[in-house]
Amino acid sequence: MSDNWQSDAMRRRLAKRHAAERRFRAVGLAAIVVSLLFLAFLLFTMAWNGLGGLSLSFLTGSDSTNPAMAGIWGALKGSLLTMAVTLALSFPMGVLAAIYLEEFAPKNRWTEWVEVSINNLAAVPSIIFGLLGLAVFINTLHLPRSSPLVGGMTLALMTLPVIVISGRNAIKAVPPSIRDAALAVGASPVQTVFHHVLPLALPGILTGTIIGMARSLGETAPLLMIGMRAFVSTPPGGVTDPSSVLPMQIFLWSDEIDPGFVQNTSAAIIVLLASLLAMNGLAIYLRNKFETRW
Amino acid sequence: MTSNIVLAAILALGLAGWFAARAKARLLDSGRGSLHSLPSHHGWYMALWVVGPALLAWVAWQAIMPGLVESAVLAQPIAARLPAMAIDRHAVLAEAWMLVRDPGAGVFNPLAREFAEPLRDAQSRYALIGGALALMLAFAGGAYGYTRVHAGFPARTKTERAVMLALLFASLIAVLTTAGIIISLLYETGLFFSHISPVDFLTGLHWAPKDPAVGEDFGAVPLFWGTIFIGAIIAMIVAIPLGLMSAIYLTQYASAAMRKVLKPVLEILAGIPTVVYGYFAALTVAPMVRDLALLLGKENPSTESALAAGLVMGVMIIPFVSSMADDALAAVPQAMRDGSLAMGATESETIKRVLVPAALPGIVAGVMLAVSRAIGETMIVVMAAGAAARLSIDPFDSMTTVTYQIVQLLTGDQEFDSPKTLSAFALGLVLFVITLILNIVALRVVKRFREAYE
Repeated sequence: MSDNWQSDAMRRRLAKRHAAERRFRAVGLAAIVVSLLFLAFLLFTMAWNGLGGLSLSFLTGSDSTNPAMAGIWGALKGSLLTMAVTLALSFPMGVLAAIYLEEFAPKNRWTEWVEVSINNLAAVPSIIFGLLGLAVFINTLHLPRSSPLVGGMTLALMTLPVIVISGRNAIKAVPPSIRDAALAVGASPVQTVFHHVLPLALPGILTGTIIGMARSLGETAPLLMIGMRAFVSTPPGGVTDPSSVLPMQIFLWSDEIDPGFVQNTSAAIIVLLASLLAMNGLAIYLRNKFETRW
Repeated sequence: MTSNIVLAAILALGLAGWFAARAKARLLDSGRGSLHSLPSHHGWYMALWVVGPALLAWVAWQAIMPGLVESAVLAQPIAARLPAMAIDRHAVLAEAWMLVRDPGAGVFNPLAREFAEPLRDAQSRYALIGGALALMLAFAGGAYGYTRVHAGFPARTKTERAVMLALLFASLIAVLTTAGIIISLLYETGLFFSHISPVDFLTGLHWAPKDPAVGEDFGAVPLFWGTIFIGAIIAMIVAIPLGLMSAIYLTQYASAAMRKVLKPVLEILAGIPTVVYGYFAALTVAPMVRDLALLLGKENPSTESALAAGLVMGVMIIPFVSSMADDALAAVPQAMRDGSLAMGATESETIKRVLVPAALPGIVAGVMLAVSRAIGETMIVVMAAGAAARLSIDPFDSMTTVTYQIVQLLTGDQEFDSPKTLSAFALGLVLFVITLILNIVALRVVKRFREAYE
């Protein structure tokens, strides 16, 4: 193609603009690469420091002042108990609240208040939930300090909005024709929801629940407020025993002066990240397997 | 122990009631349309009557039982041996309770051992009384429910009304939580302001909380400055360019396959627990920052620095900024992009001159949400930012934040109503109000911005 009509000045200007285009594109790619390099660096540091510390005795032992003897089973069991309490409280409450708001709630000022407070709770800093747990569960109701019961209740309040929001989206995605069909053959509104809408929305709700649980598994700050930083050399026996949780164990070990704990901390981080990865993997699997496009 | 058995018994009775009522309703069924409700609805109605009142009584008893047990023990002659001071008495009783729960527990006060036995006796006595009460209620409720089972009884309507009540109650939890946060923070802050004037707290420049309250010791401005400097300045200097540029690259340049891989990988950054970031900041980033400070000729730099905490926090926020910017860019109508390209602009010119300005309100709202998240972030600053409250603009200085101080003030073993402890709630209230305002404004901006293009 002849470019006789292009002057030299024009060509130079075009070249400059195209160079700017390439530069901009490179900067964009660089932004992603920098972020991912940071991630890789973080994971590599943890693996480098921690992989050597992973052993059967580390996974089955409890906290100790001697880094070579210390293990994470006590903290892991505390985490499991706390998660059990959180799940038992936030899942039914969250699902019921989502059903009410999506299917039955009248459109009035009161419902608006409920929606506003749910959306705001989802954005409240986690440490504020810790202050609430301290003021209400421990100082007012005198529930046992440092226990998975109080920790689980505090985290349940934090997880609830996540479950409600994802539950509402999943219920909203069920097409109205399903409801119409059930109502047409004589089901009551409650039967329609519990027999037809809820089972169809359940995979979506479960995905949201797992993501919410994964977030609360990694949460430390609110549990710090309610004193779940006990030195626990035997695994807790029940939900009212003093206990620690996995992220808290990481925090406590990171404060130790003995360099042996660097390996322990990193190894505990690997265990924590692996559990989170497994949970998120499960959520993605559920979503892909049961996701229905109506 | 007893209470767990009672709980199991109530639930078992409920199950039995369900079957009994269903069986009775089935016998009444004499053909199509003869019953108002299905037999299983009668079952549910009956089970509600068995479990509902009994469970309520059980929960209420669990709540008041420790008080009853304690007053029963205090009424016994042995109570004369307790120390006169209320605080000491509480300590002895608390240790005795610990022994009741776990006989092997170590206690400091030998007196506690003597009290463990009467406490245990009284507790088992009251647990029996409560259990009997709950079971009686279960039977009474069951009897009432069972007599209701007849052909014309609208069991379905009644059961569904109970279900609706449960749904309504569940949706109230969120409001109750919000109210609980506001009331408890306001209450404790009110107590704090009865010791320290709010003006001293909000405008004072010196932060060194001590137990005997002096107004000058509780000036929170250095904390606010540290929070803003780390969360809203350093972290955003990292997060805004990286987040925005990666969103632009992912939405405008990357192929669909690349986007499908890169986006979830970038999201991993948001899923890593903050305690892991905190440890990484303290272990790896902070020493690097200190070496950098030495290189720049700063004398005796501290290991804990605002820069280390802010940098790591910024990286944590990147996926958040990126996904908000992503949404904002996607909301700009395709026609604006097409128009700019048709006029001969290159893609980068279109992005810089058309897309980003058009998406700016959405991006700004996203940044506000990111700031609210960064200033509420706790573990990174606790592990990497330091405890010194100072007004400084040197990023290599150690600096403290609101969240760090809340943790610091509440994790020691001090009296609960000292001004030092209460100040943590005042800081919490400030944090709550600021994040709330940021969120409300941001959500409103996003909403208006969406409407503008619809």
